[in-house]
Amino acid sequence: MIEVKDLVKNYGNFAAVDHVTFSVPEGTILGLLGPNGAGKTTTMRVLTTSLAMTSGKVTVGGYDVVDQPHDVRKRIGYLPEVPPIYGDMDVISYLKFVADIKDIAPDKKTNRIGEVLEMLDLENMSRRLIGHLSLGYRQRVGLAQALLHDPDVLILDEPTRGLDPKQILEIRKLIKSLKGKKTIILSTHILPEVSSTCDDVVIIDQGKVVAADSVENLSQRLAGGKTLEMEVKGPSADIEKALGKVEGVVTIKLAGKELRGVSRFELTTDGSTETREAIFQCVVKNKWVLYQINPLGMSLEDVFLKLTTKETTG
Amino acid sequence: MNANKVWAIARKDIGHYFASPLGYVVLAVFFLVTGFFFALIVEQTRQASMVPVFQNTVIIFLFITPMITMRLWSEEEKSGTAELLITSPLTLWEIVLGKYLAVCAFFGVMLSSTVVYLVIMMLAGNPDMGPVIGNYVGYGLAAMSFFAIGLFASTLSENQIVSAVITFGILLMLWVIGAAGGSAQGVFGELMKYVSIFQHLEDFFKGVIDLSHVFYFVSIIFISLFFSVKVLESKRN
Repeated sequence: MIEVKDLVKNYGNFAAVDHVTFSVPEGTILGLLGPNGAGKTTTMRVLTTSLAMTSGKVTVGGYDVVDQPHDVRKRIGYLPEVPPIYGDMDVISYLKFVADIKDIAPDKKTNRIGEVLEMLDLENMSRRLIGHLSLGYRQRVGLAQALLHDPDVLILDEPTRGLDPKQILEIRKLIKSLKGKKTIILSTHILPEVSSTCDDVVIIDQGKVVAADSVENLSQRLAGGKTLEMEVKGPSADIEKALGKVEGVVTIKLAGKELRGVSRFELTTDGSTETREAIFQCVVKNKWVLYQINPLGMSLEDVFLKLTTKETTG
Repeated sequence: MNANKVWAIARKDIGHYFASPLGYVVLAVFFLVTGFFFALIVEQTRQASMVPVFQNTVIIFLFITPMITMRLWSEEEKSGTAELLITSPLTLWEIVLGKYLAVCAFFGVMLSSTVVYLVIMMLAGNPDMGPVIGNYVGYGLAAMSFFAIGLFASTLSENQIVSAVITFGILLMLWVIGAAGGSAQGVFGELMKYVSIFQHLEDFFKGVIDLSHVFYFVSIIFISLFFSVKVLESKRN
C-alpha cells in the first residue's frame, strides 16, 4: 500500500532522511521508531505531500506523491505532530470545515461527523471551543480530522503525545481496532507503543534505517540476542571444547587471536538467558577468567538506550 | 478549481474575524472615521457628495490592511494548521482565493456602513450618482489590491508582526512613490508615477471609470495572488 524507496531529504548539506526504504502492506500497522530528530516527521511529511523530497520514490496506494499528489491527499488521513486545529472554532464547525475541504458529500457530512465523534468519545465536547479543550481532547479532535473522510491510509505523528496513561490506552485500542481495515504508519519514540500496536517496525536514527523487522522478531533480538560475543582468559582450544558442550550453545568459534592469554569467541545460542548463566558456570568451574560476554547487535541496543533515555528525560 | 472548497476556506476565515475582538475593533474604527468625515464634510460644505468622504478615508486602509491580512497565512503556519490545508485535496489557488475572498467579504461589511450615509444624502439632497458609483469602484479596487498585497506578505512569514510590517512597507511605498516620480526625470520618473496608487485613484474620485486604471488595480491583485501561490509552492522544498 505504501512504498518508500531510497528516500532522501536534504536541508542544505544536512541529510534529514538518508536513503530510507520500507514498505507497508495493506491493512497493517507500521511503527516508525526513533529518537527525536531522527527523521520520522520529515519522512511522514514527504508521505503526506507536504514536503518535497530530494530524491527517491514514494507511492501511496499506487499513486506517486510527486506526480499525483492530489490522488494521494484524497487517500490519506494525517495527524501532524501538533494537531492542526483552530482554537476559535467549536468541534462541530471545525469538523464541518474539514469535511468540506476533504470532498465529503454534503448529504453524508452530518452522519459521518456523528460517527467520528462517537468513535473518539467527543460527543459531549462537540459544542465546546477547541481552544478551551484539554490537550488530550485536542489530540482526539486532531485524530477525528484524520479519520473523517474514511481514508485508506492513516499517517499519525506521535498520536499519543500529551495524553495521560488512560487516554493513551484508549487511543492505542482505537488504532488496533483499525487494523486490517486501514494501512497505518505511526511514529513514536516510545518502545512499548510499538510492541502493543504495530505489526512491523522501522527504527530510524539520524536519518538512516537502523533496523526493519516484524515486532516479534525484533523483540526476540532484543531479549538477549542469539549471538554472543565473549572474552575468556585461558587455553583457547580447551575453552572452545568445553563451551561447545554447554547446553544451549549451538556453535562456537574462535573470533580473535589470543592476546595475553585472552581469546575472543563468537557463540550462537538458543537465545535463552539460562545459556549465559551456564556459560559463566562452565568458565568458573574450569578456573578460567571471564572478561566479558555481550549479546551481538549492539547498534540496535544503542538506539534503544537512546530511546529510553529520551523517554525519561522528556 | 472547486468553488465549494474556496467558499469553505473563505467561511472559515470570515469566522476568524468575528471570533476575535480584532474584527470588531477594526469595524468600529472604520465606522468612526468615516462617520466623522461624513458629518464634518456635510456640515461644512452643505453638498450632497460622497467624494470627500472617500478621498479622505482611503488612507485609513494603509493602516487597516496589515491588521486584517497579517494573520491570513502566518497564523496557519504558526499554529500548524497549514499542514492540514496543504495535505488536504485542495489546490493552492483554492486556498489563496478562499483567503482573499474572506478579507474582501470583511471589507464588504465595512463598506456597508457607508450605504447609510448615501441613503441619508439621498433623503436630504440630490447627489449625483455618477461620481458615487465611480467612487465606490475606485475605493473598492484600491482596498482590494491592498488586501492582495497583504495576503502575499502574510505568506512570507509565520510571524504576524513581520507580515504586517512588510505589508505596511509595500503600501507606503506605493503611496509615496508618485511624489518621488515628480522629481525624477525621464522614463524612470514616468514609471514611478505609473506605479503610484494615487495617480490611478484621482479619476475614480472625479467619477470617471477609466479601464486603464481598472487594469492597474486588477494587475496588482492578480500579481499578488499569483506570487502568494508561488511562495506557498516553494515552501514544500
